[in-house]
Amino acid sequence: MSGRKGGRWRQLAPWALGAVFLLACYFVGIRYIIGNLTTREAESGESGRPYVALVAKSTTSAFWRSVFAGANAAGTEYNLDVTVDGPDNEEDYETQNEMIAEAVESGARVIVFSAVDYEANAAAIDAAAAKGVQIVVIDSDVDSEAVSCRISTDNYEAGQMMGQAILESGLEELRIGLVNFDKNSANGQQRERGLRDMLEDVPGARIVDAVNVLSTTEDAKEGTRQMLQEHPDINVIATFNEWTSLGVGYAIEELGLGEETYVVAFDSNVVSVGMLETGEVDALIVQNPFAMGYLGVECAYNLINGLDVEESVVDTATTVITRENMFDEESQKVLFSFD
Amino acid sequence: MKNRRIQNKISLSVVMTGVVVGLVLAILLVVLVFFIRLYENSIEQSSVITSEQAARQVVNTVENYTEDMAATMENVTEYIAKPAALREDFFESFFQIRTDVVAVTIYNEEGKLLDCWAGEKAAKETALVNLSYAEIPEGEGLHISKPHVESLLEDYYPWVVTISRTMQGEHGEELRVFMDIRFSNIAAYVDDVGIGQHGYCFIQDTDGDLVYHPQQQLIYAGLKEEAGELQSLADGSYIRSNVIYTVNSLSNCSWRIVAVSYVDELITGRVEGMVRICLALLALMFLTAVFVGSLFSWLFAKPAKRLARAMEAFEKNAENFCFEPVEGTSEVNALSSSFGHMVLRVQQLMEQVRQEEISLRKTELKALQAQINPHFLYNTLDSIAWMCEEERTKEAVEMINALARLFRISISKGHELIPLEKEIEHAKSYLKIQNYRYKNQFTYHFQVEESCLPYYCNKITLQPIIENAIYHGIDRMVDEGHIEIRVWEEEQAIVMTVEDNGVGMTKEQCVDILEREPGDRRGIGIKNVNDRIQIYFGERYGLQITSEPDEGTCVKIRIPKLEEERQ
Repeated sequence: MSGRKGGRWRQLAPWALGAVFLLACYFVGIRYIIGNLTTREAESGESGRPYVALVAKSTTSAFWRSVFAGANAAGTEYNLDVTVDGPDNEEDYETQNEMIAEAVESGARVIVFSAVDYEANAAAIDAAAAKGVQIVVIDSDVDSEAVSCRISTDNYEAGQMMGQAILESGLEELRIGLVNFDKNSANGQQRERGLRDMLEDVPGARIVDAVNVLSTTEDAKEGTRQMLQEHPDINVIATFNEWTSLGVGYAIEELGLGEETYVVAFDSNVVSVGMLETGEVDALIVQNPFAMGYLGVECAYNLINGLDVEESVVDTATTVITRENMFDEESQKVLFSFD
Repeated sequence: MKNRRIQNKISLSVVMTGVVVGLVLAILLVVLVFFIRLYENSIEQSSVITSEQAARQVVNTVENYTEDMAATMENVTEYIAKPAALREDFFESFFQIRTDVVAVTIYNEEGKLLDCWAGEKAAKETALVNLSYAEIPEGEGLHISKPHVESLLEDYYPWVVTISRTMQGEHGEELRVFMDIRFSNIAAYVDDVGIGQHGYCFIQDTDGDLVYHPQQQLIYAGLKEEAGELQSLADGSYIRSNVIYTVNSLSNCSWRIVAVSYVDELITGRVEGMVRICLALLALMFLTAVFVGSLFSWLFAKPAKRLARAMEAFEKNAENFCFEPVEGTSEVNALSSSFGHMVLRVQQLMEQVRQEEISLRKTELKALQAQINPHFLYNTLDSIAWMCEEERTKEAVEMINALARLFRISISKGHELIPLEKEIEHAKSYLKIQNYRYKNQFTYHFQVEESCLPYYCNKITLQPIIENAIYHGIDRMVDEGHIEIRVWEEEQAIVMTVEDNGVGMTKEQCVDILEREPGDRRGIGIKNVNDRIQIYFGERYGLQITSEPDEGTCVKIRIPKLEEERQ
């Protein structure tokens, strides 16, 4: 009798195991279900947003303020902690390098960067990348392999658009003076090359002089005045960023050459728009800084979340604004920021 | 046959597991679909309501704002009509209080700019274009322009809307008053409107142009687009894919409030969660069903199958079937023990029937053996009497001895099986008597192997055959007959033959003899001999008759070698 009972128990063993397994499955399953019911609430209460640092060339120009506005808009939309910073003057790559180091120090996941100096900023960016920070470049490039994504105006094409605007000025003979900023800044040089290539083979177009000035209104104004004094025959001036545009405008205004000189300037602010209206400036090449800032931070968000960054180089649009079209509906949207 | 095979394959447990899982799956799916539909509907409904409520609130606020604009305009026109000093004082304080008003301009009927107030900002001497001025449309109500950039002030280009009206000037001429207003106040309010997690509100005019959008700069920078078809929609709520648009027109101007909220974030996530939960439940149910099904199978279906197999085996071979009890639930146990009892009872009954049959046959046979052919006895006694009369005493004694031997062996103390020696002696006694009676009409001869003598055989085996040979074979003959009796061993059997040279039989008669019941007169018939041998020793043994008409008959008897009497 006991033997038979033992056999019975031995037969029961797999069933006991099965029952235990089933109970374990129930345990796991119910925990999964409860987990599913509760995580939703937990997720929404998440804090500690990822930190993205934007290091710009400058903080004062209208261009950069618009970039910051775009960056902040994206920061709000994607729930990122975005800080913006930049040196006081646009030659100060050392301060920029310090800012990069600081950003790395304070735990930035991504640095959105615009380089003052194509080469001098490279080491700092490489160092940041070595610490696992991802790099997005906007506006102005840096000589580094670590850059995940570049978002900027196609500067060469912008230069060509300037050339096109000069060709459409209606002047028969083009004696051109160029006022460019820091030689080490990549975007200024690309724009100038675009312009030179555009005008190279055009009969009657001649680049009389080209000066490089500091990226300040004062220096640009001084440089322009000197250039115009040395070459009074110049009837076209092209200049390549917001500050030099103002400098050129002020110089023309002072010399009273608004009528005689065709000025193609770059970027817009309240003053340069005023100059366009009054005639000191005849065409403005306007970038889309808001989009640049916005896309830069959006790209940072994608990098943080491991999403595919679709393109490693993103072009933002450039528009040519002249006195005739400046108050067109579309031009208004491009030219005047909405705040 | 095929059907049956399939039935055999589908076991109860599989069916049960399938049914349970299928049922649960179906119910769960139905409930899930139903629930999701219900949930989606209610969520959609509630988000539409939320959206409408939010839009309603925005409409109220914006209406208040536009009414305030209208009141301001009223105020402004009132002061424009007043004397210059008073007017300038008013505007000085007006622009300090109303920071959202950028400029107030008046024009004469021809559209010539008469005056411009802009607070501290300076008006351009000659404006390139004037975006503020436009023909004032006919009709009452507040006229609000599309948003545009202020183009009349130096170094100041804010986005504004222009509200306009006409008034009577001092001299009764028509004046047109335009007031440019930044909508920063309303913008701050609209920015703060949130519907759900990502929902928002924006203002557009009836032409579909944006007045204010929280992400206006994004739209202007070409990074975002708002659905284009909205302008054609009347007031109400619309669900486009997963976006709910609620459109509301303002009562006092041409603006519309559009509230945008997302169904997606509200529903899809939760539905996904629910589907996951249901799948988990389903998996659990499946495991449970499989477990319970197998348990059920183990407890019931398997034993039932074993029981069925046992029954089949019993059906095929009832006699030698040995039942092993099947274990399982109490029901199975009860079934099993009942079957066990039944098997035993059936086997008992079968044995009983067999025994009864055998004993019946034996009694019958004994009764037959006991029968002594009265003619034979009468004839024999007659012959003896006749011999005595003729004083052939010696012969008479021989006859009487032979008869006595015949009867003694016939009786054999009631034993059925006797040694072959006795049987042959019995046959010899019978032949001696018959030979006297038939007055040596025939001769006979025994040829018996000595080694066969101790083996046993049924008594009165040879005599009926010899009797048959005499009566049917030799009696009708004219010539002298002969009966030859041989006994020999053949492997495991003893073979006896009784051969005569009488008239013989046809094949039909040979078969007939073995099947016909003996008549009254005959004593023990040949069939009887055969039956007895087969009852005792089985089908393999018995009689075999070969005969040719006019040639003679040979009856071959085969019995096993039996060393001792079994009875």
